[in-house]
Amino acid sequence: MFAAGLVIAGVVFMREALQLPTGWTPAGPGPGFFPFWLAAGFTVSALAVFLRTWNSPQAQAEPFLPPGAAQRILVVFLPMVAVVALLRYLGIYLGGALYLVGYTRLVGRHPWPLVLAVGIGVPLALFLIFERWFLMPMPKGVVLEWILYGR
Amino acid sequence: MDVVRTFHDLLYGLSVAASPENLLVAVVGLLLGTAIGVLPGLGGTNGVALLLPLTFHLKPTPAIILLASVYWGAIFGGAITSILFRIPGEPWSVATMFDGYPLAKQGKPGVALTAAFTSSFLGGLVAIVLFTFFAPPLAEVALKFGPPENFAVLLLAFATIAGLESGDPVKAVLMTFLGLLLATVGFDIVSGTPRMTFGSVALQSGVSFVIIAIGLFGIGEILLTVEEALRIQGLRARLSFRDVWETWKLFPRYFWTIVRGTLLGFWIGVLPGTGATPASFMSYGLARQFSPRGSKFGTGEVEGVVAPETAAHAAGIGALLPMVTLGIPGSPTAAVMLAGFFIWGLNPGPLLFQENREFVWGLVGSMYLTNVIGVLIVLTLVPAFAAIVRIPFAILAPLIAILCSIGAYAVNNQVLDLWIMLGSGLAGYFFKKLGYPLAPLVVALVLGDMTEQAFRQSLIMGQGSPAIFFTRPISAFFVLVALAVFLLPHVRNLVRRARRPAVPAEAPGAAGS
Repeated sequence: MFAAGLVIAGVVFMREALQLPTGWTPAGPGPGFFPFWLAAGFTVSALAVFLRTWNSPQAQAEPFLPPGAAQRILVVFLPMVAVVALLRYLGIYLGGALYLVGYTRLVGRHPWPLVLAVGIGVPLALFLIFERWFLMPMPKGVVLEWILYGR
Repeated sequence: MDVVRTFHDLLYGLSVAASPENLLVAVVGLLLGTAIGVLPGLGGTNGVALLLPLTFHLKPTPAIILLASVYWGAIFGGAITSILFRIPGEPWSVATMFDGYPLAKQGKPGVALTAAFTSSFLGGLVAIVLFTFFAPPLAEVALKFGPPENFAVLLLAFATIAGLESGDPVKAVLMTFLGLLLATVGFDIVSGTPRMTFGSVALQSGVSFVIIAIGLFGIGEILLTVEEALRIQGLRARLSFRDVWETWKLFPRYFWTIVRGTLLGFWIGVLPGTGATPASFMSYGLARQFSPRGSKFGTGEVEGVVAPETAAHAAGIGALLPMVTLGIPGSPTAAVMLAGFFIWGLNPGPLLFQENREFVWGLVGSMYLTNVIGVLIVLTLVPAFAAIVRIPFAILAPLIAILCSIGAYAVNNQVLDLWIMLGSGLAGYFFKKLGYPLAPLVVALVLGDMTEQAFRQSLIMGQGSPAIFFTRPISAFFVLVALAVFLLPHVRNLVRRARRPAVPAEAPGAAGS
C-alpha cells in the first residue's frame, strides 16, 4: 500500500509542476519541464511497483513489524517530535538533556548517577563545542536564554 | 611536460610544507578535520567554511594548508562514523557504510577501519602524484566539456548507482526520480520562479541535501535499530596491530580496485562541481560489477570499503586541481576554499604557478606530508573512538538524535529543517523496510541542480532537440556507456534466468505492501 501512496504523491507532484510552464519557452525549456517529467517518471515507477505487489498476494502475508516494535519506535520517535515542537521554550540543549535523561532512565534503566552524568555532561560539552568553540548559535530556548542572560 | 622541472618544484614545495609553522598548521587541521568528519552533519564543507575566518590572520600558504588539511582529515574521519555507527560522518562515506558497517557488525571493525584508512591513504597518494605531474593536460580536457558532455557524465553517474542496486531496478529508478524531484524544490535558477514549494515560503530556498541525509541515515537508523529491540548494544571496536597487519596482507589482491577507484575518483574530482560523493558511489558500483565477489557486496566485503575510500580521497585531491590551475572549484568544499583565495589577496588561475610558487607548491608538498601524517593519526587514535562505540544504545540513541538535530539546524539555522529531518527519518525507515534503496535518492538529490542545468543548457544549444547528446562524440560515448552500465546487470540476469527455466519465480526479495 506504500507504493499506492507513492503513486498519489507522484500525481500531486505532477499537478504542482503543471503550475509552471512545462513546454518550450523563449529561454529554453520552461521551469516546470524538468519537474514535470521527473514527477511523471516517478509516478510510472511507483505504479509499476504497485501493480507488481498487487499481483503477488503472498507479499502481504508476512507481518510488517515484529511484536512490540511499533511501541519501541514510538517511544524513541515521539519524544524527538516533542523536543522539536518545544524548541522555542527548551532549546536544543535543555530539550536534549531531558530527552537523554528520560530515555537512558526509562528505556535503558541505567542507574541515576550515570543518567545524570550523561544528561548534564553531554549537553554541556556540546554547548561548549558549538557555542564557544565553533561559534555556531543553536536555538537555546526561552528558559536557557533566561538562565544565561537574564532575559 | 618538463618532468625535471616538476621534480624541482616538488622538492621546493616539500621544503615549504615541512617548515615548523606549516607542519603545525597541518597537524592541527588534520585533528580538527578528523573530529569534524566524525561528527555527522558537520562536514568538510562546513568545517572549511567555519575555519575560513580564522585563516584571515594567517599568511596564504599556511592558510590554504590549514583548510586543505581539514578537508583531508574530514575524509579520513567520515569513514569512522560510517563503519562504527552506520551514520555517514560525511556524504562521501555513505558508500563506505554499505560494506564497512556489516564488517564491523561481524566483529571485524578493525579490519573495516584499517581498510578504509589504508585505501584512503593509497588513493590520496596516487592522486597527489597524478596532481603533480598530469595537472595541466587533464584540466584542459575537462574544460572542453560543454553542457551535453556534463549531462552525459551525470547520466553515467545515475546509471551506475541505479545499476549497482542489487534489489529492484524499478525501485532504484523511482528513488532516482524522487531525489532529482526534491532537488528542484526552491527557486528555479534560469527563470527565478519558485517551484514545487506548494505555496510554502520556507521551501523557496530549497531542501538541503545534508538535512535529508541526516534524517534518512541518522534518525532512520535509530528507528531501525530500536525496532530490533535494542539487541545491538554498540559495536565493539578493536584496532590491534594484528588487525592492521592482517588487513594490509589482503591489499595486493585489490590492486585493480584501487587503481580503478583512484583514477575514477581523480577524474570525477577534476570535473567541475562533482566531488568525492559521486566518485565514491561510482567506484563502489564499478567494483561491484567487476569483482568476482560482486554479488556479496553489501554483506561486509573488504573490497566494498576499499573502492569508495580510494575514490573519495582521490576525488578530494582532484577537486583542487581545477581550483588551483583555473580558478574553477572541483567540489563544494573547493568552492569554499576558493573564496579564501581572494581574501588572502591571490588571483586563482594559471598565473598562480608563476607568481606564487610558494603557495602552489607548498600546497602540493603539504598534500604529500598530510596524507602520511593523517593515516598515522587516524590509525593510532581509533582506540579513542572505539570508546564511543562501547556506549550503551539507550544513551547512544538520544545522543545521535541530538547530534543530528544540531547538524541539521547548523545548515540554515531554521527550525523547519528539523521537521524535514524528522520527516525524512520516518520516510527513510519505511523506504528501508520496504526495500527501496536510499543511495540513488541521496545522489540524485546532490546532483539534481547540476543535472537540470546541464540538461536545459544542452536543449537550448540543440534548439530543443535531444539529438545533441548523440551528435557530439564525447557525450554520445558517455550516454552509451551509461545505458550499458544500467542495462547490463539486468540483461545478464534475464539471460541467466532464461537458461535455467525451472527456477521458482522469485528469490526471497523484499516484501512490498
